[in-house]
Amino acid sequence: MEISVIQAIMIFVVAFIMGIDQFSFLESLYQPVVLGPIMGAILGNFELGVVVGGAYQLVQIGSMPIGGAQPPNAIMGTIMTAAFAISMGLEPTADGVGLAVGLAIPFAVFGQYAVTLTFTIMSGLMAKADKCAEEADTKGIAMINYTEMAILGILFGVLAVAGVMGAAALGDSLRSFSFQWSWLMAGLDAAGGAMKFVGFAILMKVMMSGEMWGFLLAGFVMANICAAVPGMSGATLLMCAMVGLAIALYDYQMNTRIKENAGSNAGGFTDGI
Amino acid sequence: MAYNIPERYQDLTPAPKLDKKTLNKMVWMSCFLQASFNYERMQACGWLWGILPGLKKIHTNKEDLKASMAHNLDFLNTHPFLVTFVMGIVLSLEQNKVDTATIRSVRISAAGPLGGIGDALFWLTLVPIVGGITANLALEQASILGAVIFLVVFNAVQFAIRYFLMHWSYNLGTSAVGMLTSNAKEFTRAASILGIFTVGALIANYGSTSLRIAIADPAINVQSLLDGIMPKLIPLLITCGLYALIKKGWTPIKCIVLILVCGIAGTALGIWTGNSQAIDENGAGINGGYNPLIQWYEYPAPAPAEKTGQQAWDATQGVVDQLAEEGINVEMPE
Repeated sequence: MEISVIQAIMIFVVAFIMGIDQFSFLESLYQPVVLGPIMGAILGNFELGVVVGGAYQLVQIGSMPIGGAQPPNAIMGTIMTAAFAISMGLEPTADGVGLAVGLAIPFAVFGQYAVTLTFTIMSGLMAKADKCAEEADTKGIAMINYTEMAILGILFGVLAVAGVMGAAALGDSLRSFSFQWSWLMAGLDAAGGAMKFVGFAILMKVMMSGEMWGFLLAGFVMANICAAVPGMSGATLLMCAMVGLAIALYDYQMNTRIKENAGSNAGGFTDGI
Repeated sequence: MAYNIPERYQDLTPAPKLDKKTLNKMVWMSCFLQASFNYERMQACGWLWGILPGLKKIHTNKEDLKASMAHNLDFLNTHPFLVTFVMGIVLSLEQNKVDTATIRSVRISAAGPLGGIGDALFWLTLVPIVGGITANLALEQASILGAVIFLVVFNAVQFAIRYFLMHWSYNLGTSAVGMLTSNAKEFTRAASILGIFTVGALIANYGSTSLRIAIADPAINVQSLLDGIMPKLIPLLITCGLYALIKKGWTPIKCIVLILVCGIAGTALGIWTGNSQAIDENGAGINGGYNPLIQWYEYPAPAPAEKTGQQAWDATQGVVDQLAEEGINVEMPE
């Protein structure tokens, strides 16, 4: 749709802030019910913006960012739904804006790609973070955090402005791009999902010794069992922590008792018993 | 890793208790827990940034600050709104100069379970209820009140919880830690057991890597065969493999690159499951998540459409019923 330079700048700024807010800061500004009215105000149809926000919020309730899962991006979804609804002059009702929600999906998917890409690149920057820590460089640590926020903000700002200006035609080419390169995008998705194993391996290096392998396997199996039972899979880690705590407490009590007894036994021997 | 994190701090005299101002500053900083979120360590770097004000006060010895910063970059994933609980506990341990291995074990054990609790509290309870009500306000009355109420309620709850957990857990930690120092060696061992048990649970809980390959006719999904041997076997094997590599002296960044290459090469050949979220002209997703570059097996067609449509309908109806029970009226989509 046709927008002025000032509108473009405002969209960039809003998308920049929301791109950051979806993971840090208040984690509520980016929610569709809030973002919708803001986009409506910028694009000149406040009422429609409010309704789009409400409609997309209901879509969003079904796909929450739970347990590190990344559903299609709500920010790009809301921004583009508002843009389509306003440029097509849709009716301000839940059913009326349904068409715009559908058209916005390719952009929401690309918003998700932007997130995946950022999280992958930032995995590489952790080596730099280690280096900063070794030098007690607190400014460096802050800088790494600013870097990711800037990357996310700029990616979302550019995507949003390009999306609103390019509209349906751009949506089509984005869609066919992601269709053609689906194996590459799935590859990034699969690799991203596996990178946490590096973090786990580093933790294992700290705590692991020969006698600890059994506990690792016990925790692994316990989590598998909990996750397999419908209705309690959400509490998996809490339940595992309780079982783990029982084992750890038992070990602690046994060992402190052995230590105390060892002391009194030694005393017993010197007494000649 | 060139730098070896020492097992003990050099300066072992407990630091003075952190004042309220510093704790409150860290409550604010905790909002940026995920500022440098990434797939390898997740919230680690944002976590370190958040507790730096406290660490700088506690570790006046520069070498100790280095050690503390280095070990606070371990993998961490917890719920962003409940993180101040972990912060308070870890800071109380840091203040009492407990062994680094103990702090690391306690941190991962405290952080893990909070993820599920927080998801249940916020994303499955607070947001659906407040979001559902305010979305209806917006839809039916086209009122900005919806957005305002959402922001006020959500942030009031969020900050009350952040503030309370920080102060409560810090005081709890400092009062409990004295009891531990008399049996420090036994405590470290027990903490390591809990820590390693938690890591095992994390592997199964967050490990999502699986195989896409289907063989023979009628198609047999290889992943379901593996699940019959042991669910989440692949995440376990990958983690153990990486552990062996890191023990051999591989740097984390080298491991990351290896995973990236294997991940993309794997999906080019259609080995791993992965979701490209791509859609065709009609808005339908790709069968099997993506189209491999080299297709050497036939991915089985999805279940008949009527059945999946009915399942989707039932699932939607379930959500609507649940919302209705909580007093939110939502129309079923046509």
